[in-house]
Amino acid sequence: MGPPLIGVSRDIVRIRELIDHVAGTGLNVVIYGESGVGKEVVAQNLYQKSPRAGQPFIKINCAALPEGLLESELFGYEQGAFTGAQRKKRGKFELANKGVLLLDEIGDMSLPLQAKLLHVLQGSGFSPLGSEKNIKSDTWIMASTNNDLDENIKNGKFREDLYYRLNIIKIYIQPLRKRPEDIPLLIDYYFKRYSFNLDKKDIKKPGKSILDRLIKYHWPGNVRELQNVLKRMLALGSWDKIVDELTSGHHELDSIPSVKTYLETPSILTSDLSLFSLKKIRKKAIDSVEKEVISHVLNETGWNRTKATKILKISYKTLLYKISELGIKEKK
Amino acid sequence: MDNQYKLLIIDDNEEILSTLYDYFKTKYNVVTASNGLDGLKLIEKEKKGFDLVITDIVMPNISGIGIISIVKQKNPDTPIIAITGWGKYPELLAIEVQADLVLEKPFNLLELDRHVAELIKKTIRPQIHTDERR
Repeated sequence: MGPPLIGVSRDIVRIRELIDHVAGTGLNVVIYGESGVGKEVVAQNLYQKSPRAGQPFIKINCAALPEGLLESELFGYEQGAFTGAQRKKRGKFELANKGVLLLDEIGDMSLPLQAKLLHVLQGSGFSPLGSEKNIKSDTWIMASTNNDLDENIKNGKFREDLYYRLNIIKIYIQPLRKRPEDIPLLIDYYFKRYSFNLDKKDIKKPGKSILDRLIKYHWPGNVRELQNVLKRMLALGSWDKIVDELTSGHHELDSIPSVKTYLETPSILTSDLSLFSLKKIRKKAIDSVEKEVISHVLNETGWNRTKATKILKISYKTLLYKISELGIKEKK
Repeated sequence: MDNQYKLLIIDDNEEILSTLYDYFKTKYNVVTASNGLDGLKLIEKEKKGFDLVITDIVMPNISGIGIISIVKQKNPDTPIIAITGWGKYPELLAIEVQADLVLEKPFNLLELDRHVAELIKKTIRPQIHTDERR
């Protein structure tokens, strides 16, 4: 069961209303919006409010797989259909029968695959690779994209007939920066949820000045970025540090891959919980902070290590060890 | 006593919507919506169903194809006229979802008027009189 669609902005209120009215129709849906804005949340909400709740909800990312692989994932294959097809595999269309299939990043689907998809949407069914059998599927198709599909049609990258068939229901989710009134509610919801899950009930909610700065921040990663910021804040225990980083345009999350990897875990509730071991999180967070501070001091001292050790109040040996362990490099 | 037929007109183009409203209000009881969602809310609210629906096809949030599908599912006898200005694909889809007539923009208002009258006549519907309401 996914999170609710949170917000008080006119946009989000309208989307919730639309979901309530169309969830029972099973009409094809395309959800538009920037990365991290909540497209999957909308899809989940539609599914939960529909008669198909309880049936499979299958998602596939059309950008993540090369064309051949995407085709076999979608339609399945028979044993021996191609080299490596050691046994029969059911495709996502079959697995999502009676349920929902969410085609994420549909703008990246190749034209030949679009033709096959159109065929399915026209009710003509599909054949698994290497099979002569034709299978009809009773699947509710949803698609999501952060592309402008109109542009893709003009560039010849997206089929016009498929476009009109898919876009029966169109839901556009505005980026978070265009609906700042939603930010306090989102922070409130995810803060409560994460502090409960991480057993961090002693950490206080942000005060007014912090909240104001968070509202003014432009959130290029939208709600997903907001979730990551909250998780990171709970790991570090300090609002000021996080907000300073955000508003100085300095993103730890971008510079340190190890921090980014674990913080991009989709959901605390469904992910591997060992990723949230506080010991691991603490070490990674400390490493990232140390790397920034040491780099800064070294750059300021022109990489004079002796001066740097005096400022940082660490031994020369420790400094050399940190430079090596954290991969700190001199900027040329 | 009000036994006028009830029309629903949905179009996201303000000019077309007001032109159609002004034209048809003299003969029918007309309600309008400027987008699919508001149109759908009116459809859900209208217990007895509309006597005819005129809908644009390409619209934000719910397309005319969606509206036609929903109305035909709810009241298969309700005649629907779809209007489109976006080429053959929306037109083909409208026919596929059982629109009774598809008109391309720009259309002739008198011709539309004639089609509306014909389609309503063809449909066998009991006349709803306000004094017969129990």
